[in-house]
Amino acid sequence: MIDQNTSTDPSAEGADQSQVNSQELVVRSKEAAQAAEASAPNEDELDSELEPASSEELSDEEMRQRLAEELDSLIERMHAINPDYAPPAYSPQRLVDLLDRNLGRFSPKTALAVLERLRSSISDDLFDPDTWKGIWYMLNYTIEYQADIVKRRLNGEYDTDEWGFDPEFLQITEPFLTFMYKTYWRTETTGMENVPEEGRALLVCNHSGQLPWDGAMLGTAIYNEHPTQRMVRNLYATWFTTLPFVSETLVKLGQVLADEDNGVRLLEQDQLVSVFPEGIKGVGKLFRERYKLARFGRGGFVQMALKTGAPMIPVSIVGAEETYISLAKAPLISKLIGFPFFPITPAWPWLGPLGFIPLPTKWFIDFGEPIPTDSYGPEAANNLVLVSQLTDQVRNLVQNMIYARLAQRKSVFFG
Amino acid sequence: MSEEKVILVTGVADYWGAQVASRLIAQADAQPDLGLHIMGLDIEAPKDEIKGLDFIPADIRNPLLVNLLESEAVDTVCHLVFMESVRPNESAFDMNVMGTMKVLGACAEAGVRKVVLKSSLAVYGAQAANPAFLTEDHPLQGSRSYGNTRDLVEIEAFCNGFRRQVPEMILTILRFANIIGPKANTPMTRFLKQPMAPVLMGFDPLMQVIHEKDVVEALCYTILNDMPGVYNMAAEGILPLRKLMALAAKMPIPVFHLFAYWSIGFMSTTGLNNGQVVPVELDYLRYPVIADLAKMHDELGFTPHYTAEEALREFAGEQRVKRYMPESAAMTYDEERLRDTIERRRRARTLSPTEQVSLGEEENHD
Repeated sequence: MIDQNTSTDPSAEGADQSQVNSQELVVRSKEAAQAAEASAPNEDELDSELEPASSEELSDEEMRQRLAEELDSLIERMHAINPDYAPPAYSPQRLVDLLDRNLGRFSPKTALAVLERLRSSISDDLFDPDTWKGIWYMLNYTIEYQADIVKRRLNGEYDTDEWGFDPEFLQITEPFLTFMYKTYWRTETTGMENVPEEGRALLVCNHSGQLPWDGAMLGTAIYNEHPTQRMVRNLYATWFTTLPFVSETLVKLGQVLADEDNGVRLLEQDQLVSVFPEGIKGVGKLFRERYKLARFGRGGFVQMALKTGAPMIPVSIVGAEETYISLAKAPLISKLIGFPFFPITPAWPWLGPLGFIPLPTKWFIDFGEPIPTDSYGPEAANNLVLVSQLTDQVRNLVQNMIYARLAQRKSVFFG
Repeated sequence: MSEEKVILVTGVADYWGAQVASRLIAQADAQPDLGLHIMGLDIEAPKDEIKGLDFIPADIRNPLLVNLLESEAVDTVCHLVFMESVRPNESAFDMNVMGTMKVLGACAEAGVRKVVLKSSLAVYGAQAANPAFLTEDHPLQGSRSYGNTRDLVEIEAFCNGFRRQVPEMILTILRFANIIGPKANTPMTRFLKQPMAPVLMGFDPLMQVIHEKDVVEALCYTILNDMPGVYNMAAEGILPLRKLMALAAKMPIPVFHLFAYWSIGFMSTTGLNNGQVVPVELDYLRYPVIADLAKMHDELGFTPHYTAEEALREFAGEQRVKRYMPESAAMTYDEERLRDTIERRRRARTLSPTEQVSLGEEENHD
């Protein structure tokens, strides 16, 4: 749509799309982005400011001068408000994300003007020393920011919540998780509108794949696709607490040990909680048993939902079953090392740590319609008939959602 | 003056007994209308004389303790005798568990109205399946292979039965988190003071701490107010172990956990002193033991003055000053400490006016 618009700016016409250099785009366009952020509430002002800029006949040099001045005054203004202000860490991906997030806030005309201006900035002045100066500043900011993080962490000046969730740790690992989510497993997510924007809810998912990647991806899905970027509290099995690094990582990412008290407490704090009622039986499934749901625990998750009146949202995750091909289990080894199961896959344990690398299957995460539980009242948690009935109901729902997705799926790797 | 209220503190020759006794004496002097009379009991007299303490040299296991309690008409007993031990050992068991049983028995016999005991959150045990917040009624699964914890679990198990047998007695047990402070000698302070503090690689359990002054405050609070029951006690703030050590200015040395367990086992079988290497038991460096403090706040109505971070910063400051003692370090540390003190006093003022009388603040000036 935007590409078909003819720009009146001469530099835009000269811009060769094949020469697009993300670094350059970044430096030249950051002012536009910051100006957009800063004046977001006042659209009219931006409109009037941008209009002449794209229509007037300005030379490249003057244009850049003006933009540089604008940026300087912006930073000065920020310093006046907050003397400690340092621009946030910078990366091309972040800039694009920032634009992505904010473009929708403008009127179509303004958005078009911003995009036009961005495009016009993609010119061929890579040899301009100012470009490199900009890059240099950016790098400096980034390094300083990261050195500051390291220093603060060594001094213990970081915050964790009462569950041990460490937001900075999430910030560090999030790019990796998003890479696994978007690029490696190319996850497709449907039914996100079933996840409430606020208030308590209990996600009930199937479990699979030898390692708890599905829980991580469920959290990443909601972090990436949900409008409010809610944080999911996965309840994980006791076994993971005993594993080095795994337990530390899970706690720092805000995951919580699966325990009824923990679940009730989280739901009462109006958090989004996810459970994998199959537990270890689900994770350790053999390849030939894939997508056959195991027993849904003892219905503890239903009791949690009933006690707190939280709606249960069935979730099916398809694709995780094929990430590791568990051909057999070695009960003797598992008993020796104290693991609940020890899978034998084509790569594990023969290839050592390489056996941990999951296969790049195509994933589908589907969120079903919520099942309300607040009509039963908290006493219903003691009604074992109702509990087992609801457990079976949710289990069938998840199983049917899996079958529906499997029926549509043509290939394990390409969807 | 109304009737005199006699309070007997056992173990006054040790740190906790001495602190509680002097804190109570200060309270008695400040408010003579309470009519408090503080007695101390231990095998030997406290090294630094406590002014105003009515000291009685005796062993708690002495069968004549009943007669003493009766003839002095003791109202409240705060039992603080505890012999620390790393490996379970008979003499410590005899002093701790059998001693507590004998003291409680004598109290019941002599009609003592109230008994206050000091315990630890370690009695819950560091288990992989622990819920994130342990309530007071959680079963006690403390380690059987670590002397201190085993004795405390035994004492608590006995108290459970004792409470049913003697329902008219007010029995208060305070379970404290890891105690931190410049003067106290506890497993956690020993852990943080040693030159190299080993941690388990890949484990970063959450921890709670409490400041030594708050421990004394809490004990005195329950001695002066009738608060039957068991209470979890910890300062505000739940910290991961690495953060705790960073605040205490201690570099963690990560050790692979299987190797650490193996070498501790090796050290105990060969009789090497493993208490020197790891004063805190390994499981407690692996799994979290975090207490739910709702009962402390709501029923007991006690709020520790120090937050966890303040307690640790103060501890680190004392250690630094002790190590170098140059003017500059002491100065910056003073500033840090004063800032925390101001914050703490401000918080205390905004708190409920019923909860006051904090002698801990005065002690800060020396």
